[in-house]
Amino acid sequence: MIALPRRGRRSSDTSERGIVAPADWRRPRMRWPLLAIQGAVLLFLLIVGLGPLLWMAKAAVTATQDTLRYPMAVWPHGIDLGQLATAWSKTHIDRYLLNTVVIAAGSWASQLIVATTGGYALSVLRPRFAGLVTGLVLATLFVPPIVLLVPLYLTIVHVPIANIRLIDSYWAIWLPAGASAVNVILVKRFFDNLPREIFEAARVDGAGALRLFWSIVLPLSRPILGVVSVFAITATWKDYLWPLLVIRDPNLQPLSVRLPTLQASTDLGVFIASLAISSLIPILVFLLFQRLFLNGAGLSGAIKG
Amino acid sequence: MGTLTEAIPAATRTRRRGLRVRLTRDSLATLLFLLPLLAVFGLFSWFPIIRAFVMSVQATNLVSEPTFVGLDNFAQVLADPQFGIAVGNTLWFALLALVFGFPIPIILAVVMSEVRRFRGLYSALAYLPVVIPPVVSVLLWRFFYDASSRGVFNTILGWIGVGPLPWLQSAGTAMPSIVIEATWANAGATVIIYLAALLGVPRELYDAADVDGASIWQKIVNITLPQLRSVLLITLILQLLATAQLFTEPLLFTSGGPNNATLSILLLIYRYAFQNSLGGQYGMAAALSLMLAAFLAVFTAVYYRLTRGWSTSS
Amino acid sequence: MIAAVLTAVVAIVAACSPVASPSPTAAPGTGQPAATAGASSAAQAPVTITVGVLRPGATQEAVDALNLQITEFEAKYPWITVVPQEYNWTAPTFTAALAAGTLPVVFTIPFTDGKGLIAQHQIINIDSRVRALGYADKFNKNVISNGQDTSGAIWAVPIAAYGMSLTYNRTLFTQAGLDPNNPPATWDDVQAAAKTIAAKTGMAGYAEMATENTGGWQLTTSTYALGGRMETVGADGKVTATLNNDQTKAALARLQTMRWQDNSLGSTFDYAWGTINQAFASGQIGMFTGGSDLYTAMVQNNNLNPADYGVSVIPLASSPTAGVLGGGTLAAVNVVTTDAQRDAAVDWIDFYYMQKLLTQAGAVADAQALKANNQPVGVPSLPIFDKATYDASQGWIKDFINVPAAQMTPFTSKIFDQPIVTEPTAHTQELYAALDPVVQAVLTDKNADINALLDGANKAVQAILDKG
Repeated sequence: MIALPRRGRRSSDTSERGIVAPADWRRPRMRWPLLAIQGAVLLFLLIVGLGPLLWMAKAAVTATQDTLRYPMAVWPHGIDLGQLATAWSKTHIDRYLLNTVVIAAGSWASQLIVATTGGYALSVLRPRFAGLVTGLVLATLFVPPIVLLVPLYLTIVHVPIANIRLIDSYWAIWLPAGASAVNVILVKRFFDNLPREIFEAARVDGAGALRLFWSIVLPLSRPILGVVSVFAITATWKDYLWPLLVIRDPNLQPLSVRLPTLQASTDLGVFIASLAISSLIPILVFLLFQRLFLNGAGLSGAIKG
Repeated sequence: MGTLTEAIPAATRTRRRGLRVRLTRDSLATLLFLLPLLAVFGLFSWFPIIRAFVMSVQATNLVSEPTFVGLDNFAQVLADPQFGIAVGNTLWFALLALVFGFPIPIILAVVMSEVRRFRGLYSALAYLPVVIPPVVSVLLWRFFYDASSRGVFNTILGWIGVGPLPWLQSAGTAMPSIVIEATWANAGATVIIYLAALLGVPRELYDAADVDGASIWQKIVNITLPQLRSVLLITLILQLLATAQLFTEPLLFTSGGPNNATLSILLLIYRYAFQNSLGGQYGMAAALSLMLAAFLAVFTAVYYRLTRGWSTSS
Repeated sequence: MIAAVLTAVVAIVAACSPVASPSPTAAPGTGQPAATAGASSAAQAPVTITVGVLRPGATQEAVDALNLQITEFEAKYPWITVVPQEYNWTAPTFTAALAAGTLPVVFTIPFTDGKGLIAQHQIINIDSRVRALGYADKFNKNVISNGQDTSGAIWAVPIAAYGMSLTYNRTLFTQAGLDPNNPPATWDDVQAAAKTIAAKTGMAGYAEMATENTGGWQLTTSTYALGGRMETVGADGKVTATLNNDQTKAALARLQTMRWQDNSLGSTFDYAWGTINQAFASGQIGMFTGGSDLYTAMVQNNNLNPADYGVSVIPLASSPTAGVLGGGTLAAVNVVTTDAQRDAAVDWIDFYYMQKLLTQAGAVADAQALKANNQPVGVPSLPIFDKATYDASQGWIKDFINVPAAQMTPFTSKIFDQPIVTEPTAHTQELYAALDPVVQAVLTDKNADINALLDGANKAVQAILDKG
C-alpha cells in the first residue's frame, strides 16, 4: 500500500510516456489511428457509461405513457416535471434518502471509531495480547461474508449479553459495519509506519495515551481516514441484503430496500424519477471528490496486490 | 522499533506515579481503546462465525428448541435438486462474467493509459456506473430489459433489424442479461485499478523496447501485460470470489427464475433461511454457507499455489 | 418551524408520560361501553396496538379513509390507540418478518397459512374473545375452519373471501373488436379472445402470474376449473400429492399453445400479484385470472381507469368436480402481545373487518368512510357468513356503491352458481412454490416437457408432505 503514492508521483511526472513512443506520437501515420481509437473509446464510454443515466434523467421527466410507448423518443409530448415532485413528496423519497444518509453516517462513524481506536491500541499501545487480537481480526478476512449472514441475523434478532433485539434499529447496521477487518488492518498498518520519534517526543512532553491518540496520531492519519471513509460510505450506500433483513419498518428503510418494494405500486414515470433522485447524491459526491474515489479504487487494487 | 513503542506508554507517567499504578492505568487505557473493537468483533463477527458452525449441525428455526442433527443439514442440502442447479448457475455466471468482465477493462485501461488530455474525463465516465447504487442500476436495467418490442433495448435492436430478444424472460438469455448489467455496473472499478497499475510501469522498459524496434503490439504483449500480471491475478481471484456471492442481481431481476435458471448459491441460502413458508431452515442455510466458504478457501489456496510462480517471476 | 419543534417536544413528552395516568381523551368510561366485548371490565388501562392494513404505496386517499375509521374506532374504544402499519403479505417476505418478530399486533394471512401457523403456535389463541363477540357460530363452516385448530378453537378470524375470477380489460376488448359485455365463457373462448387481442392491439391477450408462489396458485385455479385436484386426502388422513394430474397437464398444455403457437401471452412471464395488477392497470394485459377483489388494490395502488375494468367468472369444464378456487384472508394476532393488546386486537378485528359485514351501522359507516375518500365500495367478494347476511350487507351499502357495478355483473350474476373449492390444505405454499418453476418453464422454454416437470414437482411436494 505504500507503493501507490510512489506510482502516483511517477504518473504525474512531466516526462510521462506510455506504450507508444513519443517519436511515434509525432508521426501522423501513427498518430491519427491512435487518436481514432481513443476517440472511439471515448464515444463508447459516453454511450455505455453515461447513456443509461441520461435515459433515466429523460424518463424521469417524461410522462409514463410516452416512456412506455416510445422509450427512445425524446419528449414526444413535452416535459413533465411533476413526476419528480410526486416522487419526492408523495412516494416519500425524501424520507428514504434521509434514512440512507443517517445509516451511512452512523456506519461511517462506527467504522472510523473502531478502526482508529483498535488500530491505535494494536499498533501503538501494543498490549501483550495484541498479536492474538490482530490474528483474530485478520482471520475474519478469510471468512466470506455469506457465512455470517444467517448467524449474524439471528444475533441481531437476539443480541447475547445485552439481551436485546436490534431489528428495526439502525444499530443493527452500524455495529456490524464497525467489525470490518479491512479497515482495522489498513489503519493499523498506517499507524505502524508512523515515525516512532513523534511518540517519543510526545512522551517527553508527558502526553498520556488519550492525548497521544487525539492530538498526534489522529491528525497524522488524515490520508488513511479519507480512504477508509470513502470505502465505508460507498459500501453502506450500496448495501441491500443486510438492511433488507434487519430494517423491516418501511418508515426506517433506506432507498435501496424501499425502491424494489415500491416498484409494483408506483407509476412508472414516478418510479424512474425516484431512481433518478436516488442516483443524484452519489453522482454529485463522486464528481466533487472524484480524485478521492479514483485514487481509492486504484489504491484498493494496490492494497490487495 | 517494537521495544520502543512498548516503552512509550509505560514511560509516560513514570515520573509521577509508582510502577503498579502506572501499569494498571496504562493497561486500562489500552483496554478502553480496544473495547470498541473487541465488542463489535466479538458480538458481530467472532461469535456469529462460531455460531455458523454450531447451527450447521442443528435443526433450528427460532420456534422450537434447537436439536443436534449431526450432518443431516449437509446431507439435505446435497440431496436438494436446487443445490446442483445453483452450483451450475453460479459457475455459469462466473464463466460469463469472466468472458465479459475480464478483457474489456484491460482493453479500456490500455487505451486510456495512452490518453494525454482529458484522461480524467475517461476515468470519470468509466467509473460513473460504479457509483450508482446497485439496486437503482438493477431496477433501471429491468426496465431496459422489457422483452416486448417496445422495450428500450429491443427498440434499439429494432433499428438494426434484430430482435426482439426475450432478455430476462427466457431461461437461456436471463443469465447473460444479468452478467451484462453486472459488468456495466462493476467494470469501471477494475478499469481504474488496471489504469493505476499501467501508469506505474517503468518507462525505461518501453524506452528499451523502442531501442530494439518493438512494435506497439509487441510492447503490449511483452511489457504491459506481464507488468500487469500480479494485479490481473489478484483482480481475477477477487472477481471469482465476488461472483460466488452473487445475490442482489438475480433476486431483483428474476427472483432466481425463470425455472431456476438464475438461482445462485447465495440466493439458495437466502431461500432456505428467509423464504421458506412457516419457518426458516437456518441449519441448512448455515451448512450451505460453510460448504461454499470451504470451497472458496480451497479454491483460493490452490489458485495462489498455482499462480505464485507467475506473479513473482516478473 | 418552531411549531414543528414544539409539536415534536409535546409528542415526546406525551410518549414519556407513565402508562398508569391516561390522558384525558383516553379516560376510561367516557366512551360508550364496548357493546360486543362482553368480558371488558369497567376500567380499562390504555393500550396501543399496531395494525397491518396499508399496502406499500397506498394513495393519500386510502390513508385518509383508514384514519377516519381509526378515529371512529378510538372514539368507541377510548382506551385503545391504533397505529396503522404498512403491511403486505407475500410468500417470500412473510417468514422473515415472522421470525424477526416485526409483524404488527394484528396482521392478515391467506387462508392457506392458517393451519400451519396455528399448529406451530406462531399466532395467538383468541377463541374466548372471539366467541364473546356473539357471532362465532354464524360463520360459514368452510370459511371459519381455516382459522381453527383441530379441536375447533378459533385462532384467526376470516375477514374476506374471494373466488377466482377472469379479470379483463374492456378497452382492449373493444379495440380488438370483441364485445366487452360478453366475456369468454369457455377456455376455448379465452384462448381465441387472447389471440385476437394480441393480434389487434399488440398487447398481451392473456397473462399468467408465475413468481412468488402465484404461479402455483393460478395453476391450481386452472386445474380446479377443469375438475382436477392437487392433493388427495386418504381415509387415514394421509395426504398424497397429485400435481401430475391430467387436468393440470391440460391447463399447462393450453398455456403452452397460447404462448408458443398463438403467441398471445405477451412477453413478460415473471409477474407476481403486484406486478400483474400494475401491468393490467396500465393497459398491457387483455385477460388474467386473479381474485375477484383485485379492483380495490388496482385503484389504491395502480391508478386503474375504472372504465377498463371488467370481471367475469372463470370458465368451468363440464366435469362434476370442476369448481372455482376460493380463498380468503384471515386476521391473526401476534404471539408477542400482552393480554390487553390481544383483547384490543380482537376489538379492532371486530370493528374494522366484521361489523361492516354484520350490522347496518357498521356497513354504512365503513362505506361512508371509504366513499368520502374515493375508495372503492361494492367490490365483489364471497360470503364470510351465510348468504342471507351477505345479501343484507350488500343491501346496506347499495347507496354508496361507487365501483362500476354493471361491469362486474358477468361475475356477480354467476359466481353463486359455481361450486367453490378450497385451496389444497397441506403445505399449500410449498406446493405453490414447487409449481412456480413449472409454470415459468412452460412460459419461457419452448421445449418444456410438461410431464417431466410435473413429475419432478410432484415428487418434491410428496417429500415435503411425508415429512409432515
